[in-house]
Amino acid sequence: MSSRMGPVELLHMTVFSQSFSPCGRYLAAGNNYGEIALFSLSAALSPEATRLSQKPVLTFTAHEGPVFCLLSTDCQLLSAGNGEVSAWSWAELIKKNVKPVWTKRPNYKSSLEIPEINAMIINPRDNSLVIGGGDNNIHILDLENGVFKAVLQGHSDYVHCVSVREREAEILSGGEDGAVRMWDSRTNQCVHCIELYKYESCARPQYGKWISCLTTDSDWMLCGGGPSLSLWHLRSLSPTSVFPLKGSQRQATFHQDLILTVGEGPYVSHCLLGGDVKAQIPCTPQSLNTLQLNTNSTEHRVLTVGGTSNRIDVFTNLSYRAFSLSF
Amino acid sequence: MGAVTDDEVIRKRLLIDGDGAGDDRKINLLLKSFTKWCNSPGTPEEGFTQYQRMLGTLAQCEFSMGKTLMVYDMNLREMENYEKIYTDIEQNITSAHEKITECKKEIQRAKRIRKNRQEYDALAKVIQQHPDRHETLKQLEALDKELQQLSQIKENVDAKMELRKKQFHVLLSTIQELQQTLDNDEKSDNDDNNQGSPAGNDE
Repeated sequence: MSSRMGPVELLHMTVFSQSFSPCGRYLAAGNNYGEIALFSLSAALSPEATRLSQKPVLTFTAHEGPVFCLLSTDCQLLSAGNGEVSAWSWAELIKKNVKPVWTKRPNYKSSLEIPEINAMIINPRDNSLVIGGGDNNIHILDLENGVFKAVLQGHSDYVHCVSVREREAEILSGGEDGAVRMWDSRTNQCVHCIELYKYESCARPQYGKWISCLTTDSDWMLCGGGPSLSLWHLRSLSPTSVFPLKGSQRQATFHQDLILTVGEGPYVSHCLLGGDVKAQIPCTPQSLNTLQLNTNSTEHRVLTVGGTSNRIDVFTNLSYRAFSLSF
Repeated sequence: MGAVTDDEVIRKRLLIDGDGAGDDRKINLLLKSFTKWCNSPGTPEEGFTQYQRMLGTLAQCEFSMGKTLMVYDMNLREMENYEKIYTDIEQNITSAHEKITECKKEIQRAKRIRKNRQEYDALAKVIQQHPDRHETLKQLEALDKELQQLSQIKENVDAKMELRKKQFHVLLSTIQELQQTLDNDEKSDNDDNNQGSPAGNDE
């Protein structure tokens, strides 16, 4: 079931997205050739693991374009490619049955160009899927009845990343136009707009004003991209710390008392909330696109990162790379 | 593995000892020499020496028996000791496991505390940048007072204006009235004069 990839294709492979299965035993990764590979974590982490257990148990072509984002609900894997979202049942995928449960396409105004979907996230309050795409809009799909119920317009360039602020029922989105917009998910209106490049402490005009990385834990928000990665206090909408990291960050997450972030540069940066960079752990890919922590399983609590390489690094202890899975 | 070594041991012992262990042989020899001594027709001195020899052998046998008993006791006590050490180590392992779980919980707590502290610090940094509340309140009070003073002044000026206006109004209306009265008087004078001259012409 593994794809016949020549060595040149393997060299040019980029992993854009990852998602852990709800049981926590499998990892799904999407690459730029439109393929999704399923890796068995229990096989790779067991004491009798061999080189073969670091290869995927299943690889299939999911979309025509690159798979920019993957997301798991409690029974399905959602993947987004060139303008469409597909849903796959995890139980079926584990049995190697690769038929999608559904495929939907948001209503795009222009039918000439199909915009890609850069980011998706689930809003648990009303079980809806927030899709941020290349048509500068955010589409909201109601997962219960499969209908696109709203379009949030406001960005003037494509949307890179979305996040959900659960306590206040807000959706945050960051885009190429340098703005981080906050939308109320009940009224679908934009309530705040922060333009990071206008703040002197974060702005890095030499990189640009685009926002590629956005995450929140309801009180605080991390955002960065062209401007430096910075920590914002959402109640007062003020930047509290700016992280002195070279290169732009693609994904960041809060983990216990640390901030883990990946981006340009072959390392995972561990930062403290005060703005210090505590450690930078080296990884295989030269530049990283995605970072995921397996919170669905207690015995396979690993951190996995993927980027411009066909290898996905697995960390069993946050301080060093244990081994790599490869496509 | 225990069975194999047992066999080996038994085989070795059989090879070495012939018809029994060295002590067994001694006892057999003793019995043989005893029966020989009982039935020997030899001289009393020979009999006596043989008797001494037998006593010696008997003593030897007793000695080796005593030694074996002591070795047996020692082995028993050694076993007990090892059992004790074994249970001790097991207890240590379980208590170490418990300590590890305790420490893990502690670490989680400490990490949460550190995160909270860092959040406070980050917010405090931002708050420090804003001016002190007392300062701002004082500034506000001063501004309020200024505002009041200015409005007082405005009121006074307005009142003065009103007064002046009224006075001017009075002055102007008095002037107008006077003007009118003068005009009226002039007119009535002219009329009188005109009336007077025709009357004068008539006379």
